[in-house]
Amino acid sequence: MTSQPNPVTPPQQKGTALRLHRALARIWGSDPRLRGWLTTNNNNDIGTLFLIVATTFFVIGGILAMLIRAQLATPNSAFMEPEVYNQIFTMHGTVMMFLFAIPFFEAMSMLLLPGMLGTRDLAFPRLGAYGLWVYIFGGSAVIIAMLMGLAPDGGWFMYPPLSSAAFSPGIGADVWLLGITSIEVSAIATAIEVIVTVMRYRAAGMSLSRMPIFAWYILIVSVMILTAFPPMILGSLLLEVERAFGWPFFQVENGGDPLLWQHLFWLFGHPEVYIIFLPAAGMIATILPVMARTTLLGYGWVVAAAVSLAVLSFGLWVHHMFTTGIPHMGLAFFSAASTLVAVPTSIMLFSWIGTLWKGRARMELPMLWIMGFFATFVIGGLTGVMLAVVPFNWQVHDTHFVVAHLHYVLIGGYVFPMVAAIYYFQPLLTGRTRFFKLGEMAFWLVVPSFHVTFLAVHMAGLLGQRRRTWTYDAGQGWEALNLVASVAAFVMAIGFALIILDVAVNAFAAARGRRNPWNASTLEWSAAIPSPAYGFASIPIVRGRYPLHDDPDLALRIARGEGYLADTSRNRRETLIVSTARGEPAQVAVLPGNSILPFLLAVVTSTSFLAPLFDAYLVAGLALLGVVALALVWAWGLGSRVDEGLIDAGHGAILPLASEGPDPPGWWGSLFLLLADGVHFGSLLFGYAFLWTVAPNWPPPSYLQPDVWAVMLALAGAAALAAGPRLAVRAIGLDRAAWPAIAIGIFGAMALAAAAATVMLDRPDPAGHAYDATLWLLAGHVGFHAALTAIMLGYLVARVAAGYASPARIGEARIVALWADFTAATGLVALAAAWLPGASG
Amino acid sequence: MIEILRLSLPMTVWLTGFSVIYALQGFSCSRHWPVDIDARTVLIGVSALGLFIQVLILLVVLYAPSTSRFVQSTATTLATAAVVAAAWTMMPVLAASVCP
Repeated sequence: MTSQPNPVTPPQQKGTALRLHRALARIWGSDPRLRGWLTTNNNNDIGTLFLIVATTFFVIGGILAMLIRAQLATPNSAFMEPEVYNQIFTMHGTVMMFLFAIPFFEAMSMLLLPGMLGTRDLAFPRLGAYGLWVYIFGGSAVIIAMLMGLAPDGGWFMYPPLSSAAFSPGIGADVWLLGITSIEVSAIATAIEVIVTVMRYRAAGMSLSRMPIFAWYILIVSVMILTAFPPMILGSLLLEVERAFGWPFFQVENGGDPLLWQHLFWLFGHPEVYIIFLPAAGMIATILPVMARTTLLGYGWVVAAAVSLAVLSFGLWVHHMFTTGIPHMGLAFFSAASTLVAVPTSIMLFSWIGTLWKGRARMELPMLWIMGFFATFVIGGLTGVMLAVVPFNWQVHDTHFVVAHLHYVLIGGYVFPMVAAIYYFQPLLTGRTRFFKLGEMAFWLVVPSFHVTFLAVHMAGLLGQRRRTWTYDAGQGWEALNLVASVAAFVMAIGFALIILDVAVNAFAAARGRRNPWNASTLEWSAAIPSPAYGFASIPIVRGRYPLHDDPDLALRIARGEGYLADTSRNRRETLIVSTARGEPAQVAVLPGNSILPFLLAVVTSTSFLAPLFDAYLVAGLALLGVVALALVWAWGLGSRVDEGLIDAGHGAILPLASEGPDPPGWWGSLFLLLADGVHFGSLLFGYAFLWTVAPNWPPPSYLQPDVWAVMLALAGAAALAAGPRLAVRAIGLDRAAWPAIAIGIFGAMALAAAAATVMLDRPDPAGHAYDATLWLLAGHVGFHAALTAIMLGYLVARVAAGYASPARIGEARIVALWADFTAATGLVALAAAWLPGASG
Repeated sequence: MIEILRLSLPMTVWLTGFSVIYALQGFSCSRHWPVDIDARTVLIGVSALGLFIQVLILLVVLYAPSTSRFVQSTATTLATAAVVAAAWTMMPVLAASVCP
């Protein structure tokens, strides 16, 4: 478990500081045995586990890549059968994109963000643990299926009709759809945790302008995850329902359209590239100035460029669909937007080059990898601009040129900076200074061989070699290129193996190092190394963007307990919440202790996802009930039955507990979860509108006719659902009985669900036409959210009765009211959308 | 939260406008488009409206400044970038055929 740090307190303060350290270590520590790993929710432990598992998946993905290159090394190769080859390339893309790239940067965020921000842990430690276990179970299921020969084989974007039940029988595609969806749930959980942390859990005085640049990048990326993943989750749901029950969302003959999948997939898939790139860019912007012994040039410009790039990335998805017969104006829209991306990317690159220019760079190993990034990513960016030009795109579509481009962007733009980050942060994470120097050799093996491999692949693509084709005939001019690419790829693989070996050996066998060996200016280097479970003995006070340079004694003063919340007498896990913009101390958060609940909840969540693979729908339903039950048990353990009032946080700050304010962290978390939910709902409406507009076999034989009583029921239900919880919040605030208002809310939820049920009863055959299937999904959305809100309202009654609410503690009621508002609003929109075509004739 | 909105709004409005114009173009090429309305005129009108809104946002950012100098300068940069993006992505409406 979390290692014990080496305190660096001067002798006269040593006694006091050691007592503080011991008290904090006891409060924040975890059981060092196996049970501790299952129950820990400390960011250091969770981040370390995430990192190890993601690296394991990277190794698996790398082995798959070598199998691909072995097959393609010579023409007409019989190294593997085409069926196996299809599984291998599908799994390579899936593992690298879903199981390695995103979890790896999430791991780095978990490990580094609390230190960088000057807080003791992430906002929702148990949510982080839950995300980890869901990721491990979902990812393992996908890998086990592959080892059993049941892997998906339709490519990592799983286009129907190839991935439909007719053309992909067996459970391979289902493994992909359900396994990947569960991993996306994990990513969303982590994203919410990170957003709330960056916005509210920071050092005192850390305003937005003083935030470490990495925190900006991760904040932006986390919001992107919340808005990019829901379309993919919806697409997976539609395809799985089509495969399992025959609802024809993608079957042209029954009103569906396979292009709908492509839209939903790329609405996720293109931002995904930037979701992967931006954290790496954040690492570069963090490491480069330290290596250049200066500050980042154009901090504000870089933040603006990152925001622009994030938003622009959502306007590019159709450039993956240029060959699908889209009208010229549509092509031109996305070509224009795609070229626009070069501007913010260039701003970042010029900022980094300018930083190098104004500093004095030292060519340590992290810097070498960043140099490798520059050389590689710029080439990848330029071939990206080439692909944004429609006529060129048509020529090279589905060739190895595209494969080479995406590897230049993803390996050059993500893997190289992450290797730099691993070497840069190794002293912080392990407490040891690198001694064994395999890393330099690995660099000179990986970077040149990468370029040899993928320049050859570029050329093969330009000469017409198709991607995803098992083999090729001799005599087309591709033989030498493929052989060179394969040999160089194996050299690259040896290089990556050396990196893993180098990092592992240094982590366990190198000598203990000193604190802040790079003379960095950010807060994470002020803590003891490796970072203790509590991070900081007291919460730092910062007065600039470079706190350790602004105040060289800051680390000592933090260790002496001269910051905020150095009082351990309350014997619980406390950290500071600040105002979002100015970073002023606002509240004290009490974080939950270790628990087995996240692990258990992940077990039942994964069961609910994976049981349908074996048609065990009863088990899936029971597991879903288990999810609800455990979530309620989890939530029940939070909060307090008494008002504590104000707490002395130190430095004269008398602050309320977060649970005694109107917007506790859970309210913020719910807000961002509902953002993701809203995007999911918006994607469903988009799919409905898309089919209505362009699907060949529309209109259906008849439209649903709105029933006046159902409409009245929906309106009354939504009104009651919106009003009831609001009245309940007010009643709790005035210390009056809240249950009548809550009952109104429950009635509203039931009425809304009943109105949705009329839609299903009127169109009883969702497998008949895509229109009916879509109506069922819209009604299902309403019914699911109404049921969820009713459960939450019932839970609120119990909480109020048990004394968990008071005029000061209205946060939980406000969270329920937020969900009720969302359910009422989206419920009305969903039912209006269902009834609109029939009403308009 | 207001400061975060100030930073995120300009480009988000651009994305919304871009999506609306693309959806409208798709709709104009579908069976539902009323034949007596010229699609290009509508698209140009909507694009111009989008550009106008972006300029309006820029003016709001400039004349109702944030108390934080960092937020103000970054929001101004983003609002200006959104105006440029709206103008740039309007070009296809003027230059390309609507539904070949």
